[in-house]
Amino acid sequence: MIQFKEVGLTYPNGFQGLKDVNVTIEQGEYVAVIGLSGAGKSTFIRCVNRMNEITEGELIVQGQNVPTLNKKEVRQMRRSIGMVFQSFNLITRATVLKNVLVSFVPDLPVWRKVFGIFTKEEKMKALEALDRVGILDKAFVRVDQLSGGQQQRVALARTLAQEPSIILADEPVASLDPVTAKAVMDDFRTFNKELNMTVIMNIHHVELALEYASRVIGIRAGEVVYDGPASDVNEAVLSAIYNGQLPEEIGGE
Amino acid sequence: MKLFGMKPSTVTLSNGKTVVMKRSQTPFVVLLLVVLTIAAGKLTGFNIVELFERLPALWVILEQLFNPNFAYASKLWIPLLDTIKMSFIGSALGALLALPMAYLASSNMISNRVVVSLSKFFLSVLRTLPTLIVASIATFILGLGTMAGTVAIFMFTIAYVGKLLYEQIENADMKAYDAMLSVGMTPLQSFRYAILPQVLPSYLSTALFSFEGNVRYASILGLVGAGGIGLMLNENIGWRNYSNVGMILLLLMVTVIVIETISETLRKKLI
Repeated sequence: MIQFKEVGLTYPNGFQGLKDVNVTIEQGEYVAVIGLSGAGKSTFIRCVNRMNEITEGELIVQGQNVPTLNKKEVRQMRRSIGMVFQSFNLITRATVLKNVLVSFVPDLPVWRKVFGIFTKEEKMKALEALDRVGILDKAFVRVDQLSGGQQQRVALARTLAQEPSIILADEPVASLDPVTAKAVMDDFRTFNKELNMTVIMNIHHVELALEYASRVIGIRAGEVVYDGPASDVNEAVLSAIYNGQLPEEIGGE
Repeated sequence: MKLFGMKPSTVTLSNGKTVVMKRSQTPFVVLLLVVLTIAAGKLTGFNIVELFERLPALWVILEQLFNPNFAYASKLWIPLLDTIKMSFIGSALGALLALPMAYLASSNMISNRVVVSLSKFFLSVLRTLPTLIVASIATFILGLGTMAGTVAIFMFTIAYVGKLLYEQIENADMKAYDAMLSVGMTPLQSFRYAILPQVLPSYLSTALFSFEGNVRYASILGLVGAGGIGLMLNENIGWRNYSNVGMILLLLMVTVIVIETISETLRKKLI
């Protein structure tokens, strides 16, 4: 369970990223976060695993108050939270398999961390994660030779190998073509349904958001202006989230 | 830029349009350069007549230089090997220590600004010290011999490789680094897995390039008593034994070319 209690975030330059956010997300929910660019969607997501630090309020993730954790506890918490990025954030010079294996690194003994040595079981687990997202045949190809859709799948496999209970996805399909985007969205749905992982996803594409997510959170200028089931989102709600502009102008591709 | 307020001339084309022609400043610049050159010659007491009068002495030296004493080569192998050892060990250890130094000097890896500035300052101070001076100081501390030369090369290599490496690290793509942090790695582990693979090829290439240059440096370090073939060079220049000097230079040239060729082939494979 993730609980935002009166959460506020002010950046060092004085910009208020989040204002008085009160949201509770239960385990196994599929939440889409929508809003204009710069409204605070990324800030909202990145608070959960403390990639951004909140400055006010409480943020409880799986029973722990995130702002009070020390560095070691933060790393421990991050082990159970996967993160997927818009630009995939892979190690481009390494093979697909190596990119997945990195998710085991924090649990390795020091000498294996230094030399990057992995056991057979770890490799098996990584290969199984690759199989789940359908790119087992690319395991020994260098990542920079893959297409965008394939690279995002590698990133998904990396997250999957971590066996997280929460997946944070920051615009995961924004740099993919519509067909590939759907396929990746299907993968997220599978993880959510079959593995009971909580998915919190920032997404520009409103249509996709409403099709896949069960719950929608609308953010405008750092404030939550809508929080409810995806089925209740209508023209008026979107207009409120998108500052009065028509959603077709900004939401669609 | 307009140096001398010259009026531009105007040209009228056949269709009546006028074009303003810019006058060239080159004649004035050339004149100024000539005047400055003559003034500089006067100031430093340069005498072209003396230069030509003493020219025959150069031919004598050159004639001996180009007739190397091949018999002398047998005495040069060990000092030559010393020179290569000096530059190899100095370069290898220097390049190795450059990695942690560069990490500490990278503003995107270390958030503590004091550490970053101090490390950068340390690296630039090391770089400004001429290797020859470091070597001569090292001979006072460590005594004459190859150890002093090794230390001088070691210090120069840290500074040179360290500087180029921290620039690479600061320009590295931070996206994968972010992902490593999100997986639960420490900043140092994230550096190892996300940044090091990016900078490794150019790091190794820089280290090899620095070794290449260090062989050349090492050969003159003997001038200040820091061991190796430079010592023989210094001796023979002192004795005016130019055919021995010629032999040493020939040997050095061949060695440097061989090492450069090997290093170049290796570097091409890296990038």
